Amino acid sequence: MRTEPALMSLTAVARAIADKQFSSREVTQSCLDRIAKWQPHLNAFMAIEADEALRAADAADAALAKGGRRGPLHGVPLAHKDMYYEAGKVVTCGSRIRRDFVAKTTSTALQRLKDAGTIRLGSLQMAEFAYGPTGHNAHFGPVHNPFGLDHVTGGSSSGSGSAVAARLTFAALGSDTGGSIRMPAHFCGVTGLKTTVGRISRAGAMPLSQSLDTVGPLARTVEDCAVLLGLMAGADPADPTALAEAVPDYVAATAQPMKGVTIGVPSAFYVDDLDSEVAGALDATIAAFRREGANIVQVDLPDQRQLSSAAQLVLAVEAAAFHKRWMIERPQDYGPQVMMRLQNGLAIPGVTYLEAMRWRGPALAAHNAATSKVDAVIAPVSPVPAPTIIESDVGGSPGADAVLQRLTRFTRPINYLGLPSLAIPSGFTKSGLPVGLQLIGRSFDEPTILRIGAAFQRSTDFHEKVPQLP
Amino acid sequence: MTRPTEKEIGAVASAAGVPVETQVAARIGNSIGPAFEGFAAIAGTLPFDLEPSTFTLVQTEKAVR
Repeated sequence: MRTEPALMSLTAVARAIADKQFSSREVTQSCLDRIAKWQPHLNAFMAIEADEALRAADAADAALAKGGRRGPLHGVPLAHKDMYYEAGKVVTCGSRIRRDFVAKTTSTALQRLKDAGTIRLGSLQMAEFAYGPTGHNAHFGPVHNPFGLDHVTGGSSSGSGSAVAARLTFAALGSDTGGSIRMPAHFCGVTGLKTTVGRISRAGAMPLSQSLDTVGPLARTVEDCAVLLGLMAGADPADPTALAEAVPDYVAATAQPMKGVTIGVPSAFYVDDLDSEVAGALDATIAAFRREGANIVQVDLPDQRQLSSAAQLVLAVEAAAFHKRWMIERPQDYGPQVMMRLQNGLAIPGVTYLEAMRWRGPALAAHNAATSKVDAVIAPVSPVPAPTIIESDVGGSPGADAVLQRLTRFTRPINYLGLPSLAIPSGFTKSGLPVGLQLIGRSFDEPTILRIGAAFQRSTDFHEKVPQLP
Repeated sequence: MTRPTEKEIGAVASAAGVPVETQVAARIGNSIGPAFEGFAAIAGTLPFDLEPSTFTLVQTEKAVR
């Protein structure tokens, strides 16, 4: 019996199309069949473009038949967070304000994936303007977790996490400003890569915070993330903040063994007040790293609460500045929670904001000094597995604010430092919810965290678990 | 640096061009106040001679093990 193509990894399906084991149409139809089955339960897609996708798949098959392979992902159907501009397409940014916004340009990250041969399945749900950590959306409804439909996906790349986990798309772009790739990866049991600030161009990606925003993939495996990073990374004339650092062979890095790397375990903060099942997954993963030949040492990191506070100050001001005009002209068109988050930025004086920005260099230097003897640091993504949609609804549950604050405490410091971080599936709770951990690397050293993550996935199968509809 | 008062928040928001009511200012203070307190140990301590591009410089330094 032939494998259901939608269940394959991005790397495997790209190879299968190139080798003509499957046509792009067969692969695309397989994804569309799963989308039809799952979408009513997940609400993961913002738009499904079935006819266009099949036409593009047929064109890809015809080109391949004539020897015209466009790139390494020729004919692979993907969908992305609905904040990546594609010329001529509606890009809602998860909002009422941009419900009918048609992009005039195509984002660099998306264009590079198109140049590699990918085709478009549609667009994915997200938190309104990427400003929410759970997956709630006041305008389009919450996205549901495929491993527990009553539970959140994490946000803001909620549709990306949900759709990749349910095998509706082979991978998806997310964005990470305060944890928005890593949290959906953790809650939904997929692999997510928050890249170094400056690694991937942000041109044509909806902004939330110009200092903290990063573009990155969610996928089923570390190797898939490495493929996508290699295609998107590098300088871009349209975004001078994308640095001209060399783009190494990320896929080659994933073939390296874990033996020889040194991994730091924080002595505090990231190991405090953990849910017992998250703590268990952390301990088990550290043990697995040891078995694979990694050297494990304890690291004393600088005060992470200060980093988190600085991140909040920077994000709040920059988000408010982006949204100021609409806050004045169209306040009624924001969801109440997003409006409240935006208003927080109004309270912060300019000097305080600039102090938070000026401290970024010294703070990163202090982190680098503290981690100078390790290749990466391991930490939970969040102290808890996915909460329920009801208990994390700020508008409906009295304890929801406390739940939300707890969710993001382990991700924000990394955004402030601009570091890369790879979230990998690391276990499941007794009730079947995924648990992920993050590998925090040095600036622009994505190869090392991809190497560790891929070696871990070669010896575990958490990333291969496919959710089932009840 | 302590969390801003309702009055201070009202003044800063007005100066930003998006005035807020007292009740909203109080809510903002409770929400963002902890970030002010968390950053208090850093505020007012940074040296004068801190290059504006320090973050990028540190970011692109080659790691020495």
